[in-house]
Amino acid sequence: MYEGFLDIFDVFLEQSAEFYVWDNAVYLFRAMMTTLTMTIIGCGLGFIFGMIVVYFRRTPGLMFWPVRMTVIFYVETFRRVPFLVLLFLVMFTVKGFGLDFSLFTIACISIVIISTAFIGEIIRAGLDSVHQTQWDTADAMNFSRLQTLRHVILPQAWKVVLPPAFAFFVMFIKDTALTSQVGVLELTQAGKYYNNLGYSAILSFGTVLVLYFILSYPMTRLGWWMEARLHTRRRDERAEFEVGATAYELRGT
Amino acid sequence: MNYTFQWGEAFIEVPYLLGGAWITLHLSFIGFWSGATIGLFGALGKTYGGPVTVKLINWYVIFFTNTPGLVTAFFIFFGLPEFGILLSPYHTILLNIALNSGAYMTEIMRGGFVSVHKTELEAAETMGFTLLQQLRYVIVPHIAKVLFAPLSNWYIWMILGTAMAAIFGVEELTGRVFNRAAETFRSIELYTIAAGMYVAITILASSILVVIGRWAFRVKVKVF
Repeated sequence: MYEGFLDIFDVFLEQSAEFYVWDNAVYLFRAMMTTLTMTIIGCGLGFIFGMIVVYFRRTPGLMFWPVRMTVIFYVETFRRVPFLVLLFLVMFTVKGFGLDFSLFTIACISIVIISTAFIGEIIRAGLDSVHQTQWDTADAMNFSRLQTLRHVILPQAWKVVLPPAFAFFVMFIKDTALTSQVGVLELTQAGKYYNNLGYSAILSFGTVLVLYFILSYPMTRLGWWMEARLHTRRRDERAEFEVGATAYELRGT
Repeated sequence: MNYTFQWGEAFIEVPYLLGGAWITLHLSFIGFWSGATIGLFGALGKTYGGPVTVKLINWYVIFFTNTPGLVTAFFIFFGLPEFGILLSPYHTILLNIALNSGAYMTEIMRGGFVSVHKTELEAAETMGFTLLQQLRYVIVPHIAKVLFAPLSNWYIWMILGTAMAAIFGVEELTGRVFNRAAETFRSIELYTIAAGMYVAITILASSILVVIGRWAFRVKVKVF
């Protein structure tokens, strides 16, 4: 496209004088907030639904067997579907049935579906870290299941749940970049917009990369701090590893 | 409710989509091993390198773990041509996947390297092992056990991650669904089938990895 490196540099300087103006900063900031809002809504609801999913997964007795199976099927399926595919599936389903949802809502729905499955699994691991005898004791003391959770299990389990759940949240800030493909105006879409206006890709996408970094890095640090602060020995650190799509926990490192 | 499902139309495309699934698999496979190579050298440098090397690798890791893969891919895809380097979509994605997963794998593998105790290496050195022999007989068997589960998870994750390649026009599973959905308008059916295929592929890959893990490295892993 351009002759040599110096020319690229010239173009870059020329364009950045036009690019770094107040209006663009406001535009990019709003896009950044869209990214953040989407993630917070999606993962927040995902956390609540994840709790519900785990509650159903631990229901006792033969009567609840279909409920348990449905929940397990849900979790195992949606941890193995790419976010991009799910996003399009949700979009076409919503539009196909003639519902008038905004693109932002569609993106949020997809995030909730995925994050419920992942966070549900994280919460389950947290609850499993509390020893079974405590459930039995609470049962013997005539606690109801909700009371057991509220007064016995959650006070111990939240320390195990919070760091990976937060890592998942930080992870998803980056995964929401894919929502630009259904047209949500978030950070990546803003980068594409500027690139289409004719700004150099290095300028537009480079700026977007930096903005993502600004969004993500402090949260990553917060996650590390949280992990160090809340570190407790898990019940069985040599527990069987699970080869599944649980990489979110890993990627939070 | 004005949508009529026509599954027949969609199921005709299954063989075509399966071809895409094959491309997904080999894209993730090549991507995984390139990433693993970068990760290996990254982890080696981070464990045994000097302060400057460590700092450089840290920057690389922090940069790629804190930015979305999609945006780095856009950056490479649209940025490199400005320097006169033209890569095909497939190679762009491969480069992006390698760089991105290299960063994560550096972190994963470092965890494995830390698990090798210095005394074991000293013992091997005392017994006259060369560096290669140490690697072959002491380090690799030791860290394979620690690393197998996280690396398998990473591979599964990468199969899902390569769906991103469709955005750049690589005709893997998702890309082929894009094509056919645009032609037939049976979007819901086709995306559902694709989602089902991803579930099937990852479960298959997990199962194979479990077998390999139990057989070759005696790691206790399970699929669900």
